[in-house]
Amino acid sequence: MTSETSQGQLSSAASSEVIIEITKMNKWYGSFHVLKDINLTVHKGERIVICGPSGSGKSTLIRCVNALEEHQEGEINVDGIILGKNLKNLDHIRTEVGMVFQNFNLFPHLTILENLTLGPIWVRKIGKAEAIETAMYYLEKVKIPEQADKFPGQMSGGQQQRVAIARSLCMSPKIMLFDEPTSALDPEMIKEVLDVMVDLADTGMTMIVVTHEMGFARTIADEVIFMDEGDIVERNKPEAFFSNPEHERTQKFLSQIL
Amino acid sequence: MAIVTGQKTPDRIPPVSERSIIGWMHKNLCSSVFNSILTIVMLYIIYLTLSGVYIWGFADATFVADNRRECFDNSLEGACWAGVLAWTDNIMYGRFPREEIWRINLGGLLLVLWMAPLWMARVKGKIFIGITVVMLYPFLAGYLFSGGDKGWFMQIMVTGAIVALIANVVNMIAGLTKEQSLVQFLLGLVGQSNASDKAQRNTILGFLAAALVAVFIWQSSWNMVEVGWTKWGGLFLTLVISGVGIAASMPLGIVLALGRRSKLAVVKVLSTSFIEVFRSVPLITVLFMATTMFPLFMPDGFVLNKLVQVIIAVILFNACYMAENVRAGLQAIPKGQFEGAHTIGLGYWGTMGLIVMPQALKHMIPNIVGNFIGLLKDTTLVSIIGLFDILTMLRSISKDVPWIGLHKEPLVYGAILFFIICFSMSKYSRHLEAKLSTDNKS
Ligand SMILES: Nc1ncnc2c1ncn2[C@@H]1O[C@H](COP(=O)(O)OP(=O)(O)OP(=O)(O)O)[C@@H](O)[C@H]1O
Ligand SMILES: [Mg+2]
Repeated sequence: MTSETSQGQLSSAASSEVIIEITKMNKWYGSFHVLKDINLTVHKGERIVICGPSGSGKSTLIRCVNALEEHQEGEINVDGIILGKNLKNLDHIRTEVGMVFQNFNLFPHLTILENLTLGPIWVRKIGKAEAIETAMYYLEKVKIPEQADKFPGQMSGGQQQRVAIARSLCMSPKIMLFDEPTSALDPEMIKEVLDVMVDLADTGMTMIVVTHEMGFARTIADEVIFMDEGDIVERNKPEAFFSNPEHERTQKFLSQIL
Repeated sequence: MAIVTGQKTPDRIPPVSERSIIGWMHKNLCSSVFNSILTIVMLYIIYLTLSGVYIWGFADATFVADNRRECFDNSLEGACWAGVLAWTDNIMYGRFPREEIWRINLGGLLLVLWMAPLWMARVKGKIFIGITVVMLYPFLAGYLFSGGDKGWFMQIMVTGAIVALIANVVNMIAGLTKEQSLVQFLLGLVGQSNASDKAQRNTILGFLAAALVAVFIWQSSWNMVEVGWTKWGGLFLTLVISGVGIAASMPLGIVLALGRRSKLAVVKVLSTSFIEVFRSVPLITVLFMATTMFPLFMPDGFVLNKLVQVIIAVILFNACYMAENVRAGLQAIPKGQFEGAHTIGLGYWGTMGLIVMPQALKHMIPNIVGNFIGLLKDTTLVSIIGLFDILTMLRSISKDVPWIGLHKEPLVYGAILFFIICFSMSKYSRHLEAKLSTDNKS
């Protein structure tokens, strides 16, 4: 299912500065080889969309980027920090990299405002008043400032996902990761979330988005990556990717979803 | 073919079986011949029991008498409540000196005063209240109950407790009248509501220091008669043991549960074996071990009194059950919550303290209350190792000369007392559960 977003292709904000550099990265779950010799370079301001069949390792890849999963071989360099066993690096990287999940993962026992200010206050050690101000700014951006005192359970899926995006932005991350942010949503809510993401892309944020919303991919992506069985099979500009995919696995996949 | 319904179907009243008493009775009591007979037999049995209880315990019972003889003179069949009534103070307070009983009552009253704001929606700072009541109240109560000379440590803790209590009361009043927190109220008092963070912090610290000094001087003049722990008893002692037991076993249980889930092998094995060992031994064994074997491990000349030994045993024992409750609560928290917490940069303790535990504790309330009820009842076991808890007191009535041989009534009285306490707690926990679960849904 695709949802055409109103804008045409956004102009690229990518600079020449590299912000993520993955070299020869391998990951196993037990004896199962999930990611195989992954090489990936992302520039500052670049917007990458990852697609591919279920189980191909898309989630695992982006979860490795913010150290939610550990990789066993190769190197991941995020904004100059090499991810490894060093815990200090891990904490640091998580504050630099925001992540939005399929299931929102909001904190149900806290109000929306508390969800948004928790990280800034406890991790970034920002004063409460300032944290609230920032939170309200981003709630405004995701178009739900009036819901600040509600609990997540009182909101629709689309609203919750927008709160989740705002929660990440409140930490002022340098990179935003999205793992199928619209797959758990009803069709009429998908657009409101995608619109927010397009706005975000407009601000020049570096984004890696796992999604099957091909219309969205066309609009914002600088490059589209196709993954299958742990390999990055193809990486290309969206027009080329969609109009004439080079690899036959890509062709097969696109013919199934388009 | 399209089907179109032109008219709205009007509401009708439900059939008789749903709305009248007779209908209800027909449906639930006499739906067949066999069921009708069953109902009648049951009603007859209930009637026999209740009327027997009523005649023994009320109609024929003696409430005012000086000794058992007079009870018998009044009625041979009825209960002799006079004996129990004459022993009320003993049942409640054990052998605590009569002229010092006010200290126990005051202690109880202060606890109620301290905890009451937890139930008031308008009062802020519930976490502070909860923490101070667990960390500081025991020292205040400990001093009230045992009296005697205070060491410097006790003086400091009592001072802290009183300041916290005063803070709580002011906080409660500010909350009820102005919906302000204590800090806002104090800052408003000196007109610093809009001052910088730093100035505000200094003001609050100033208030705190002044209060501490004033209270310290005030309390150092107190002089209360020492009451040895051997004089403690009755329901009071039972509540002390189970109250301290539950309050202390909660944090310990949380630590044990986290230890059991730890990635560090040593911590994990230690916590797991500790939990499993204590859970597979009956409380009575733990109590005996604590009072007989514990002293053997202690250095020479270091004597813990029996009450402390018993309390430690109860804490360790209960902490293991608590740990299992906590573990169950933790398991109910979805993995996504941990991931959400990690992506906003919270570390292990931040994740546990701010995200996971608050949610897990909510799930655990029914279990914790159940655990508390169990502990309260189990505490009567300390009568076996020679503490004068409520059960011991109830049983000594039959050895008291005027009431010699009075066995039944005290035990029935004790049963009623325990039933009232435990039943109201379990009812309250149901209520809490329902309230919190709607909170979750909403
Ligand atoms: N914790 C885990 N332990 C073992 N295997 C796992 C684990 N997480 C994922 N896998 C396996 O790794 C593979 C890749 O999973 P991943 O979640 O990255 O796929 P995906 O491309 O995101 O798929 P989807 O589109 O369904 O989300 C799958 O085969 C999955 O079964
Ligand atoms: Mg996935």
